[in-house]
Amino acid sequence: MESSSSSSTDRITWRASVLTRHLNEPSSSSSPRPLESSICMQFSPPELSEKFDFDVIEMRKLMDGHNFQDRDWLFGLMIQSKLFCPKDSGGKVFVSPDYNQSMEQQREMTMKRIAYMLDRGVFQGWLTGRGVETEMQKFAFFEVIGIYDHSLAVKLGVHFFLWGGAIQFFGTKRHHVKWLKDTENYSIKGCFAMSELGHGSNVRGIETITTYDSATGEFVINTPCESAQKYWIGGAAKLNINGSNQGVHAFIAQIRDADGNICPNIRIADCGHKIGLNGVDNGRIWFDNVRVPRENLLNSVADVSPDGQYMSAIKDPDQRFAAFLAPLTSGRVTIAVSAIYSSKISLAIALRYSLTRRAFSVSPNEPEVLLLDYPSHQRRLLPLLAKTSNLIGLGLEVAHIVEFLNETSCCSEIFLSYLCYRYAMSFAANYLKRIYVKRTPEANKTIHVVSSSFKATFTWHNMRTLQECREACGGQGLKTENRVGHMKGEYDVQSTFEGDNNVLMQQVSKALLGEYIASQRRKKPFKGLGLEHMNDPCPVIPATLTSSTLRSRQFQTDIFCLRERDLLNRFAAEVSQHQAQGERKEYAFILSYQLAEDLGRAFSERAIFQAFIESEVTLSSGPEKSMLSLLRSMYALITLEEDASFLRYGYLSTDNASSVRKEVTKLCGELRPHALSLVSSFGIPDAFLSPIAFNWIEANSWSSVQH
Amino acid sequence: MVSRLLELFIASEEDSNAKLVIVKGKGRAFCAGGDVVAVVRDTTEGNWKLGAHFYWNEYILNYMMATYSKTQVSILDGIVMGSGAGASIHGRFRVATENSVFAMPETALGIFPDVGASYFLSRLPGFFGEYVGLTGARLDGAEMLACGLATHFVPTMRLPSLEAALFKVNTSDPAVVSAIIDEFSQQPHLKDKSTYHRLDIIDKCFSSRTVEEILSALEREAINEVDDWIPSTIQSLKKASPMSLKISLRSIREGRLKGVRQCLVQDYRICCHVLRSEVSKDFFEGCRAILLDKDQNPKWEPSKLELISDDMVDRYFSKVEYDEWEDLKLPARPNLPASAIAKL
Repeated sequence: MESSSSSSTDRITWRASVLTRHLNEPSSSSSPRPLESSICMQFSPPELSEKFDFDVIEMRKLMDGHNFQDRDWLFGLMIQSKLFCPKDSGGKVFVSPDYNQSMEQQREMTMKRIAYMLDRGVFQGWLTGRGVETEMQKFAFFEVIGIYDHSLAVKLGVHFFLWGGAIQFFGTKRHHVKWLKDTENYSIKGCFAMSELGHGSNVRGIETITTYDSATGEFVINTPCESAQKYWIGGAAKLNINGSNQGVHAFIAQIRDADGNICPNIRIADCGHKIGLNGVDNGRIWFDNVRVPRENLLNSVADVSPDGQYMSAIKDPDQRFAAFLAPLTSGRVTIAVSAIYSSKISLAIALRYSLTRRAFSVSPNEPEVLLLDYPSHQRRLLPLLAKTSNLIGLGLEVAHIVEFLNETSCCSEIFLSYLCYRYAMSFAANYLKRIYVKRTPEANKTIHVVSSSFKATFTWHNMRTLQECREACGGQGLKTENRVGHMKGEYDVQSTFEGDNNVLMQQVSKALLGEYIASQRRKKPFKGLGLEHMNDPCPVIPATLTSSTLRSRQFQTDIFCLRERDLLNRFAAEVSQHQAQGERKEYAFILSYQLAEDLGRAFSERAIFQAFIESEVTLSSGPEKSMLSLLRSMYALITLEEDASFLRYGYLSTDNASSVRKEVTKLCGELRPHALSLVSSFGIPDAFLSPIAFNWIEANSWSSVQH
Repeated sequence: MVSRLLELFIASEEDSNAKLVIVKGKGRAFCAGGDVVAVVRDTTEGNWKLGAHFYWNEYILNYMMATYSKTQVSILDGIVMGSGAGASIHGRFRVATENSVFAMPETALGIFPDVGASYFLSRLPGFFGEYVGLTGARLDGAEMLACGLATHFVPTMRLPSLEAALFKVNTSDPAVVSAIIDEFSQQPHLKDKSTYHRLDIIDKCFSSRTVEEILSALEREAINEVDDWIPSTIQSLKKASPMSLKISLRSIREGRLKGVRQCLVQDYRICCHVLRSEVSKDFFEGCRAILLDKDQNPKWEPSKLELISDDMVDRYFSKVEYDEWEDLKLPARPNLPASAIAKL
């Protein structure tokens, strides 16, 4: 009672002093007086109070993985150009597109920015270059571009990865010679028209019809009905050339002439204003008896002879179809990575803000509490931080995938050159075909499964992170200039394009089931997709989990593997049970959707976890390594806490689940002091964050208002 | 000199009677640079740590100025080079005159623009900072004002009355100080031949990714140009130490994403590597040829840009592997302006 009454007296005194100050203000002064900092809340840079226990630059290198100087160069190119809208706020310069511009203006700016980067050689070698080094540099540049603006990245992705990738993967030498260089230097602009109004993720269902006219040696492309109109075609509203894909075939069709006029027999319309990505011109296309020369069939996998004979080296239509999806795979890799960078931006902003913004005092005379010192706030943000940091492993994973892609493309290249001389060199071609059929689908499968599951997991994680960060920034998160809230609209599309996330995850489970059945039927151990652990005895989880067990790599690995293994067994059993009851395989699969979802998640999280361990073990002991092991435990435990499977199927007892929960709280507390260094390691330059990440009081002061 | 300035700055910050600090030169220079010859002498006598100690203090002084809680007015009535730039540009107000000559001539000496230059050069418009830092180009007062190195331009003859006015008002309020300097200021005209009219070409060439690409971009431009500006720019790059050019470009590029503090820490690392001659001895060769023997004919080693690998450049940016060595420790400052904070 005593203390409460004395503190209420203090409070009265304080109020009185505030009122006195108000009363003493000379009311005559019309010009606003500079505010006294001593009576106001003051901004204190988090760098003053937070400690840096590990080397932020080294950590950044580990996270970005490669091409640091190239990245910094491109960041600098953007910061120094007016085209990227540098804006001074609170004594710092920030770059960000003006999203208040009209859709048309935003699209124009996207093209201007592309022209600027083109001029400075950013895209050199993106299509004509060879080798892992060029590939990695391209990835690095693409990531940096995405950090600035998602529209800019998507616009480039459509031109280089979809259109350019289609020429590279589906085309043969004649297409490469004719189109790649011109695409790289933007002499022509390309788009990739696959999705239709009626069919998106189900590529096989698309309705556009192409027939071959042997009299003229041309293909005739038609849109037979409204649901067959090409939809969401990035770049279609503006651009010249278009690859259209019918069934498993891709064609090149010109949709605009050199002056930008729409070609005869083509109709084009805009998709209209969107919730994000308005810097990208998505369009719709109708084909009315559009004639393209026979040579415009991208014929790496299948060809049509002048007299109309269909020829393909891959007899199995499923495999042929898989071969056609290769360019989409590289798209998935870039989407997955850009989702991570988006999460990094929002986390860096929200965490820096919560290290400088205070709210509520614990007792009346004490300073208000820093947002990040609330355990609940820590629980909201730090696990997301751990998850995002955990995707460090992705750097490596992407490198693997790139290697795969290179292997595939080299392989198909060799294969293709032989295909051209198919009849003449049939022996050699047959030999290569065998290799191709044997090897490529395997590589394709791994790429497909891993990229699908990572794309879905990372983009979902990104949307969750963005929402959490937006809320953590309070009202400030709603301002476009602070990026976090706005990015929700910009990045939402990621869970849909290049394959709907749910569909992708079903494909992952389906692929796992395929492996399971194959291994059972052939009585052979599991090999590939990281499923080798299925060959070992089933791991046993201790009855009681101590803190040190919970943090051990062994336990974490065991429980992730146990979940995947058990769910795969259950899934296989349920599907076969449905089949035994007379359901067709496809329908049985649809009926078991719940287990399929759980399994897809189990696979992704186990794969991410293993990728993480792989990069952790490469480090020698030191503060960076201890930090990584802390983050690894956070990732593992938060996964245990969040996925209901662990309780539902009894991998964790309820007692153990509550131990996990306690440990998460402890880990939050342990990570709290490192929050600033962890987000600093993300390597996002200040100019690409936002005013609330720095001196937000100065940024919002009266003197900063444009009078 | 550096230690004395540092003492004065610390003392005046604590002294509540001191409101603002005016820094000016004696004679025809504001400051033409540090005493490089003394550093070279110490180091060649086997004591690189003495040289390192000198730079350690100098960088702390630069940091004090960048984060100074009172108002610093530097009157740049003459030569401002190297360390002179470090002792003025980080401060709040820089007054140029018709006598001002600014340059960062380090690459010709086999070193690199230090004293936190990677911070302020990288923040000049477009890629002007790369141009100034790599070529050592000289700027006059009008150019300094145009690019932002100077905040005001006051004719020399008005300087005494400006000082008197500042003395009279005796305030730390930057807005008031700025208004007073404004009263004496003039808008100078850029000369017709000023390089500042060449910003387009500078941006186009000096934005290139590497020194080699900058040179070839300039050579491409030279084909379309009649006057001698591009050839002389190419000439100054070719005369400079190749290693210095590589280090300087990297330092400016990284500095663009850093705060003053990290820029100075980085400068100290590079500087120690330079003194220890681990990769190249160009600093000593440059000083011999330009300052001691004055034969103006340094023999750089490596002699060509293409002989320098990324790994060699990396070395300069890494920690120094020497037992007692540590990164530059900058004092905690009560007043940390936005410019002093950056994460990368």
